Amino acid sequence: MYNLLQRLSGITSFAMSVLMALAVIISVITPLIPSSPTHQVTLHNIQTTTGRLMDPYDKTSKSAEYARLTFDVDADLSSMFNWNTKLLFAYITADYDSPKFDTNRVVIWDRIIRNKRQAKLRLRKHHNKYSFRNYALTFEGIERANLTLHINPVPYLGLMYDKSMLSIPIEIPRALEPTDKPGHKAKGKRKSGR
Amino acid sequence: MDVLLHAKKYGVRSLLLQGLTFLSVLTSAFMIWKGLALFTNSESPVVVVLSGSMEPAYYRGDILFLHNGYTPIEVGEVVVYKVEGKEVPIVHRVMKVHTESETNKQYLLTKGDNNSADDRGLYNPGQLWIQRDDIIGRVKGFVPYAGMGTIWMNDYPQLKMGLLGTLCILSLFSND
Repeated sequence: MYNLLQRLSGITSFAMSVLMALAVIISVITPLIPSSPTHQVTLHNIQTTTGRLMDPYDKTSKSAEYARLTFDVDADLSSMFNWNTKLLFAYITADYDSPKFDTNRVVIWDRIIRNKRQAKLRLRKHHNKYSFRNYALTFEGIERANLTLHINPVPYLGLMYDKSMLSIPIEIPRALEPTDKPGHKAKGKRKSGR
Repeated sequence: MDVLLHAKKYGVRSLLLQGLTFLSVLTSAFMIWKGLALFTNSESPVVVVLSGSMEPAYYRGDILFLHNGYTPIEVGEVVVYKVEGKEVPIVHRVMKVHTESETNKQYLLTKGDNNSADDRGLYNPGQLWIQRDDIIGRVKGFVPYAGMGTIWMNDYPQLKMGLLGTLCILSLFSND
């Protein structure tokens, strides 16, 4: 009545359903595991300059206004590592309102943290890893922004979720060099090109 | 031959019934897939990672479960998007979001965790941003390496043919 193939298929289908049930249970439980990370971001300095970076895929990069931040990060995220944490993706965003845009949120720095030892962050006078510039090429009309540290834990298996923590308000000074005009020019040019 | 023998032994009715059961299995699978697509608002709610650009978070062969929804995209979310005119879906992280007040249009820039530069080189020439409509879904959950079979079958077509062949032969020989 039962041959080898039938037994084999029975065993594999049972194993599959057990594994799936386990995966669901693990996915539900993991985000509930408590953690107590400590974190602090302090801003030292923020400067804006115009058109220094060259990006081969972005012709507007030459005339855009860039902000360069100097900040410290002190964080101990080691308590966020549990048995189902593959890595933590830590990133700092700057968000601000601009005249024509409701929300602007830009990642200025990120780091992949793969174990508990790396989870103790102590950065001194770090600069932003990614260029910080506005969609409209200038920071005109933008006075303040918020820096926020986010942690995105990536599990070995299960659900993705995000933890954002503390935000500090910053002020964006405008570049005082007489660079306003080329910026405006580029803006107009770009609009027609889209 | 086998089919004829079967028909002689059990009658045409049983044969038709078998065919019907087979069809109902196929259609219910299709319905579940389409229902999921409707529920998640994503054209393909389950995808397999094909490249290593998101390592060490996602490796080749991991299965991702997507949910698109209707809410705006947030920075830091891992999304799957398709650039207009290109077929291959890409799994990358959103690095910049600008939402226009008047139109609520979102301008997004993505980057792979394992890449040093952002994705502007992957977009169409001259394209600086992707939009909300280009996003197929955001990654909500994942199972490691479970999709490796699909990748092997894509890489080695002989394997696929062999597997199909064995299945056919098995179904011919197991009559009960």
